[in-house]
Amino acid sequence: MPDNAIYYQAAYAAAAVVYAAYALSLVWRSRRLDAVERQLDAQDETGGARGQR
Amino acid sequence: MTKTLATDPSATAAPPRRGPAARRGIDWLLVLAVLAVAATYVRAIFFTPLEAMQGPAQKILYVHATAAFVGLYLGFGLVAVASLLYLWLKDEKLDRVAEAAAEVGVVFTTTVLVTGPLWGKPIWGTWWTWDARLTLTLFLWFVGVGYLVLRGAVDEPAMRARYSAVVGILAALLVPFIHLSVYLFRTLHPMPIVLKPSAPSMPGEMQVTFFMGFAAFTLLFVAFLRARYRLTVRRDALVARGAEL
Repeated sequence: MPDNAIYYQAAYAAAAVVYAAYALSLVWRSRRLDAVERQLDAQDETGGARGQR
Repeated sequence: MTKTLATDPSATAAPPRRGPAARRGIDWLLVLAVLAVAATYVRAIFFTPLEAMQGPAQKILYVHATAAFVGLYLGFGLVAVASLLYLWLKDEKLDRVAEAAAEVGVVFTTTVLVTGPLWGKPIWGTWWTWDARLTLTLFLWFVGVGYLVLRGAVDEPAMRARYSAVVGILAALLVPFIHLSVYLFRTLHPMPIVLKPSAPSMPGEMQVTFFMGFAAFTLLFVAFLRARYRLTVRRDALVARGAEL
């Protein structure tokens, strides 16, 4: 039987890296949207406070 | 004399919004999918017998063929269905589904294209060959990436959705050719051993691992798709509020 375990180990590691990188990209983009959302909320509150004066 | 009171500004300010950012927690579907994939890895590595001719490299089947099924058939299949329905119904939700499915489909197709050469080298003696199935899969990957680039390049939402629906449908048309390429052309790539009219040509223990991997990666696909769809909904809501993204 050929000794080629290194190839399947590399393939399993590569697949895990691809999926983990994508999951991290989703988390990163979600946090970026959180930051934009907070910024908009702050702007809305500032605008609302100005409007009440 | 009027009495003045020092007040805490936070006491009079509007209460903080409990928007989607505050409500979000752990994505349990994604956690479940990761556990299922981890269980598949453990079973494939430690509890699945070796194939006598190919040796340990044959275990690449459990991440390669499953990723191909999920990426090509589920991913690009969903892109085609959602795109067709969008062109008919003009519902933005369908455009969002197509966008999410295309991106996740490209991710799984990337896995196919990375793990394939790692299987080809020890078995065929080469990392890559320009045969029909490999070339068409690479072409599908390029069209998938092109679809995503197109979405980023068009600002007007209705035009972006219409153009990308057409590209998405054309991309998905490649999938049946990829499946049939091993019958239509002389290729190095083996014939299907599971997705064929007759029974799978695999021993029982290997079949269990394969179908376990198939279920785990399908779950991962659904978890990614749901997370990506939610991002799209949030992005569109922020754009509607005037954010520049």
